Amino acid sequence: MFGFFKKVVDYARDATDAANYLIQGLAVTFDHLRRRPITVQYPYEKLIPSERYRGRIHYEFDKCIACEVCVRVCPINLPVVDWVMNKETKKKELRNYSIDFGVCIFCGNCVEYCPTNCLSMTEEYELATFDRHNLNYDNVALGRLPTSVTTDPSVLPLRELAYLPKGVMDPHDVSANQPRAGELPAMVLERLKKDSSLSNERSESVNDSINQDESKG
Amino acid sequence: MYIPIVFTFANSSPSLVSSGLDLERSFSQMMQGVGFSPSLAHLLWLPLPMLLVLAAAVVGVLVTVWLERKISAAAQQRIGPEYAGALGVLQPMADGLKLLVKEDVIPAKADGLLFTLGPVLVLVPVILSWLIVPFGQNLLISNVGVGIFLWISLSSIQPIGLLMSGYASNNKYSLLGGLRAAAQSISYEIPLALSVLAVVMMSNSLSTIDIVSQQNGAGLLSWNIWRQPVGFVIFWICALAECERLPFDLPEAEEELVAGYQTEYAGMKFALFYLGSYINLVLSALLVSVLYLGGWGFPLPLEWAASWFGLPLDSPLLQVITGSVGIVMTVLKAYLLVFLAILLRWTTPRVRIDQLLDLGWKFLLPISLVNLLVTAALKLAFPVAFGG
Repeated sequence: MFGFFKKVVDYARDATDAANYLIQGLAVTFDHLRRRPITVQYPYEKLIPSERYRGRIHYEFDKCIACEVCVRVCPINLPVVDWVMNKETKKKELRNYSIDFGVCIFCGNCVEYCPTNCLSMTEEYELATFDRHNLNYDNVALGRLPTSVTTDPSVLPLRELAYLPKGVMDPHDVSANQPRAGELPAMVLERLKKDSSLSNERSESVNDSINQDESKG
Repeated sequence: MYIPIVFTFANSSPSLVSSGLDLERSFSQMMQGVGFSPSLAHLLWLPLPMLLVLAAAVVGVLVTVWLERKISAAAQQRIGPEYAGALGVLQPMADGLKLLVKEDVIPAKADGLLFTLGPVLVLVPVILSWLIVPFGQNLLISNVGVGIFLWISLSSIQPIGLLMSGYASNNKYSLLGGLRAAAQSISYEIPLALSVLAVVMMSNSLSTIDIVSQQNGAGLLSWNIWRQPVGFVIFWICALAECERLPFDLPEAEEELVAGYQTEYAGMKFALFYLGSYINLVLSALLVSVLYLGGWGFPLPLEWAASWFGLPLDSPLLQVITGSVGIVMTVLKAYLLVFLAILLRWTTPRVRIDQLLDLGWKFLLPISLVNLLVTAALKLAFPVAFGG
């Protein structure tokens, strides 16, 4: 008899618990209605890629010395460096250079290790083509500069969240000259310099006293 | 604890409530004034409310589809439809137009007749059920004596259509979806009918008009939700299951069954299913507001306000005001419930088929039976509060 009663009570408690959790869930969903959309209306609006964005690789033919370091540091030896040895000048003569962006993983190793800085990362990411062979860029295609999001008149550039002023969530009402939250790298550098010059003076004086102690010792 | 409140006011309604806006009588008088016979005037009157309610149902669906998309978007920090009309209000129209001009495909191995009949059989009973939805004392197509029973019986035609289209599609997903839909509809019809029965028992009538009138004695306080809280919850759960709304959308569970019984449908036949499910949602919301939330009743009885301002109850101005307030209140309550359904859609995960049937047969059915018995007992014990 008591067991049955307990069962009924447990069952009723389970039912009310379930209802309670359901209401909690509804409250969470309802709360989400307050949050504003963070939609970027691509292709009419685009986010400005960050300064270290690893997009399509840019290549300057004239700087290249055909050393093939980019090929050696590439995880899959992707760049194709087509050169011949000029017997008379005893120098490499570069004929063609190409990277297939259908295979590239945009790790940036080639850019990192290029001794003449002829490789660099751009902010271009719209690489879609109808044929995958069109992704194999030769030195002419690699030498083209992408249209910047900020200069394209048909696009409204939007700043990413980390580049917005403090407390602002919506990039739409931010004008271009408002500074981002926190310090820019240049500002950090300047502050560090100031700090270090101050501490250098202090540490020099300390060193002096230590040196004096040592000389005495 | 709620009994004493209702005690004084309940069932004082029939004497207090005026007959309200009676458009048919006015129309008939006008026509007879021009020289038509009363029967001809009635004949001329008949198509008007039907067309009006059909238009209201379709516009209601367009609004619901737009609301569903916008609220879903808001719940997920998206924008939702934006370009078709201001704030995307024309998006449902654009969708409908697209489906209208789309090719009507009947699969080669499907049964053409049943395949075509299925969506019709799903949509027609739902639209027919609007017959009994009251927007005011005389603002409904027909005050059928068996009103709410008509709705229950009509809604049990729907699973036949679903099963028919699922079977005729000659597709495993469609068949499974159709079977699930039939099982679900049949299981949830019983607790639904039982919870309606408790309300019917309190108002001594199956007519939707009487059910609402019985709730409008004291405005907000005399609504059935205070006397039938359990019945309200059961009815709402069952209505969601009947509409195949999200915690119970197994028949069209897209992760498992592609689109259930709608898998093979395209173009206008698919649009009929789509229309049917949304009309059904609005209809269920309207009926919840009729059965439990006082239908067209304003939270404060307008008759009281009229008597404070010294307006006679049969003045045309008051009739027009109460009529329009009634329509607004009915629609408002219904759309609050639609909003709740959309919130539930983005809150609850889909139940499994065994959980669904467990909930229907082992939980809702006994509880609705107990609710019915308790209502009967309370009706015997407190006949004044529970419609003796």
